Amino acid sequence: MRKVSIWEVLFVPLFFLLIFYPILAILGNVTLDGMAKTFGDPVFWDAVKNTLGTAFCAALLGVLMALGFAYFYIFHPGTVIYRIADFMNDLPIALPHTVAGLALLLAFGRNMFGFAGPTGLAFTLVAVILAMFFVSYPLAARTIASSAEEIDRELINVARSLGDSPPRAYRRIVIPLLGEAIFSAFVLGFSRSLSEFAAVIMFGGNVPGMTMVLASYVFTKVEEGEVSMAVTASAFCILLSLLLVLFLRLEVKFRARSKRTA
Amino acid sequence: MLEARELHKSFDDRHVLKGVTFGVGPGEIRVLIGLNGCGKTTLQRIITGILEPDSGSIRIGGEEITALPPEERQLGYVPQNTGLFPHLSVRENILYSLKNGRGSVESFHGMVELLGLETYLDLKPKQLSGGYRSRVSLARALASSPRAMLLDEPITEVDRAKKEFVLPLFRETLLGLKIPVLYITHDPWEAGEIGTSFSIMKGGVMSPISSPEEAFAVIRQEARDSGE
Repeated sequence: MRKVSIWEVLFVPLFFLLIFYPILAILGNVTLDGMAKTFGDPVFWDAVKNTLGTAFCAALLGVLMALGFAYFYIFHPGTVIYRIADFMNDLPIALPHTVAGLALLLAFGRNMFGFAGPTGLAFTLVAVILAMFFVSYPLAARTIASSAEEIDRELINVARSLGDSPPRAYRRIVIPLLGEAIFSAFVLGFSRSLSEFAAVIMFGGNVPGMTMVLASYVFTKVEEGEVSMAVTASAFCILLSLLLVLFLRLEVKFRARSKRTA
Repeated sequence: MLEARELHKSFDDRHVLKGVTFGVGPGEIRVLIGLNGCGKTTLQRIITGILEPDSGSIRIGGEEITALPPEERQLGYVPQNTGLFPHLSVRENILYSLKNGRGSVESFHGMVELLGLETYLDLKPKQLSGGYRSRVSLARALASSPRAMLLDEPITEVDRAKKEFVLPLFRETLLGLKIPVLYITHDPWEAGEIGTSFSIMKGGVMSPISSPEEAFAVIRQEARDSGE
């Protein structure tokens, strides 16, 4: 008889209790009444639209910034700006997201950005995008920089000997070779943005139909005592996340298969 | 003429190049032989412009290029692992410099014919053997109409039997262009097959020698002294 390891004994029940069971608790509590109320609520669909649109913009901005960071990593790794950027990359991961939201509020609120509107950039969709970007950018930067690290520097040296300036070599050689990393960075940034709540609510607010996103919709419904609607919206979030994870997994598998057959 | 005068380079307290001086004339293939770790790669990186020397100068055709970035040197470079761009086809690799205003479609066709690459143009580098990858790398550098060539152990990944076929082809192609060629290798046999003149790198200094056999004797002695 096979000897059972202590790790198996610990892992299996704890995984089901702490990860699987809470997810199941949401899905198991979805009711027809809750579904009818939630899906019939135009504010819910506004929150879905806001969430998807702002997460898409934040992920796109994250990838662009991450590509800029990787450029510094390849061509100017010894500079002060690279070192600061590298150090600051980990900051949003360690920082409480309420602090991140407050920082954005102070930086882009009416005190500093009063010219942009009565509240500055705060409590607008731009604020939601910036809050999502602030917390998701480090993931994109780390994903792209770790792939850039694997690119053979000799390819860049050769491209330059053939007449490419550093930005041109980056565009013609590095970016095409970072294709997979760019895609992964986008999906990770998008997923992280979808789940952001604290920074978004602090800086973007929670204005129904304007800056409310799915995470804040769930919070609002719990506060209002509409638990069945909160549960339905949460189940919707879970399905969305599962779809994203599945998409990422399939993409990785597809690329691995293409590489094997090429 | 490709010339270097009194090149010095140190990394922290390690003095790697101690006054490297040489000159390679048009139509000459100067082979630089040296053991691993003797400073060959540092010299290659300084000539291509990736590294700056602490002091000294490099000239091509009388023009001082020491302070120029790699893209302005017009120096053809074939690296050790061929450095072919994996996402581009053989054709796109060889035509790469054309978008930077270097070379011409005529020079592309000339190199493709000379190096026997006609049937491989639509393949990706990973679909080629080591010997053909080396040919493509050479064709790409030559198609950019360089003023001088630098080859850094360009056929390391080719086995000996194929080297016997590839080296004469490389030699004939390079000599036909009548430009200065610096060819770096640690293999005295390879040096004898391709070179028209020879130098050895030892202790951070480059000295001319009469034959690869002489280099081999020096290297053997050095290996014996270091107990390898």
